[in-house]
Amino acid sequence: MARFAKKTTKPGDEFINDSYEHGYSFDNKDYSFQSDKGLSEDIVRQISSMKNEPKWMLEQRLIGFKEFQQKKNPSWGADLSELKFDDLSYYLKPTDNQAKSWDDVPPEVKETFDRIGVPEAEREYLAGVKAQYDSEVVYGSLKQTWEKDGVVFLSMDEGLEKYPDLVKEHFGKVIAHGDNKYSALNTAVWSGGSFVYVPPGVDVKMPLQTYFRINSEAFGQFERTLIIVDEGASVHYVEGCTAPQFSSTSLHSAVVEIVIKKGATCQYTTVQNWYKNIYNLVTKRAYVYEEGKMVWTDFNMGSKVTMKYPGFVLAGKGARGEVLSMALAGAGQHQDTGAKAVHLAPDTSSTIISKSISKDGGRASYRGLVHISPEAINSKNTVVCDALLLDDKSQSDTYPVDKVFNNQVEVQHEATVSKIGDDQLFYLMSRGISEENARKMIVNGFIADLVKKLPLEYAVEMNRLIDFEMEGSIG
Amino acid sequence: MKTYQIKKDQHQEIILKKPGKYLIELVGEGSSVDIKGAFQSSKSEQMTLEVIIHHRAPHTVANTLLKGVARDNSYLRLKGKILIDEDCGDTQSFLTERILILSENAKAEAVPDLEIKTDDVKCSHAASVSNIPKKHLFYLQTRGIEIKKAEEMIVEGFLTI
Repeated sequence: MARFAKKTTKPGDEFINDSYEHGYSFDNKDYSFQSDKGLSEDIVRQISSMKNEPKWMLEQRLIGFKEFQQKKNPSWGADLSELKFDDLSYYLKPTDNQAKSWDDVPPEVKETFDRIGVPEAEREYLAGVKAQYDSEVVYGSLKQTWEKDGVVFLSMDEGLEKYPDLVKEHFGKVIAHGDNKYSALNTAVWSGGSFVYVPPGVDVKMPLQTYFRINSEAFGQFERTLIIVDEGASVHYVEGCTAPQFSSTSLHSAVVEIVIKKGATCQYTTVQNWYKNIYNLVTKRAYVYEEGKMVWTDFNMGSKVTMKYPGFVLAGKGARGEVLSMALAGAGQHQDTGAKAVHLAPDTSSTIISKSISKDGGRASYRGLVHISPEAINSKNTVVCDALLLDDKSQSDTYPVDKVFNNQVEVQHEATVSKIGDDQLFYLMSRGISEENARKMIVNGFIADLVKKLPLEYAVEMNRLIDFEMEGSIG
Repeated sequence: MKTYQIKKDQHQEIILKKPGKYLIELVGEGSSVDIKGAFQSSKSEQMTLEVIIHHRAPHTVANTLLKGVARDNSYLRLKGKILIDEDCGDTQSFLTERILILSENAKAEAVPDLEIKTDDVKCSHAASVSNIPKKHLFYLQTRGIEIKKAEEMIVEGFLTI
């Protein structure tokens, strides 16, 4: 039974994983604008004036910049000491205008998105697409059916230009500038991201998708997304992220604000597959009115460090929230992910399901907060965190906090940590399945109930990615 | 902070009686421990119980059960943390936290943390915060027991460890 003997892997063995398929990059010397390295008030003003923004937005940026300078890194969570703000570029503009057709997109950029498979996905099953390359959205489309129904799907910069009142009403309202150091930084230098408005009663049946691509070295990408789902409407928004292989680190720090009006539904899916040199420090939150529903499906596989806790504020009676989070931490990675559920109104309910897999010395942490206010009577919350450790050098943590301020509630929390059982492997291998395939089957089974929540095309892709990550994982 | 150390092949049962901070270390191979505690906070008390269960050797087992009842205007906090060091294979550790909130103005916080650095473990935690389910009260009332008395009986049963 030698194959069941204890296996050890040295940490750092495959720190640079050469099998990363999106690791190529293109020269950025033809960009229409590149800011100097480092961050100063001048750069904030320069970004704002290049974008011809209204004065109030510049004021917001400057408040954000001030907050960023004053705030310290969080005292908990992942190690951010290696992140050097002065080594990064904050604004890289690849093209002058957003293209309406792929033919107008510069060839290198087009090739990048071709390789990721964006144009094909757009034809097949998406309602609309945005493609962001470094700081700016370079391509955008929305199928006519949805345009006719009044659905708005623009880059955030266009959104500010065409719907200034709507943006002004909601910008920074769900996530305050000073929420944390990185939301403040994003407010100061944001560029790109999506602006989505779904009119009352419109059900956008196909997903809207944005692809984020970091192409340059030592760069900070700061997209800002605002999604407003009006009464009774529903939408599914998907984002995907990739980056080239560089040895220097880059930063991705997004702010995503979602407003869900009465009876509306929003699902927000993230498939994060950054290269392992990216610090992914993201703030995402939804504000849910009466009977509304927010679903976060959050898949984190790439990046060096991820700190992301998608949250919702259930502010209206009967509002619901759901977070389905999956993290895969490999060599040199720390996935510090989780969820934040704030119940402020009666009859609200929320579910958080988190699954994490740690391997080759990686570290996956669940960090969650459930807050039930005195007004939130008859509220329910369930948290389930399952962790799978694939070898004895990896680490798994769970840090949940449940705060309950009234007595008409049901709050439950459950967590388990385990490894792939020898008995499970033995069962499958006695059926003639190889050990590697048996492991893949068990891991895919472990995350199956989350993957089921994805549209079919993504579910297939997700299983393929997991298989790919698991390849050669038996020593 | 009160510290307990469990040595090689020893088994110990620890009943926590007072709130405060406790560190329970399993330092010897094959050691095991049962930790239990039941707490009640009332009036405007602020009560915090913090238990750290630290597995520092392989083949160790810990079972932890913490229960609490929060009444009146009190604030009850139950914090538990399981730490499992590297190279502590064949470890089992379970942590359960249950809180009943009996009054509208009482508050409760449950924090069950896990930090695990080895894969050969069986480890889980569970926490819940709720009021007494109406069904349970109704059942006793149909047997002719007054609601006050029924509540008392359920709390008494709940706190038996």
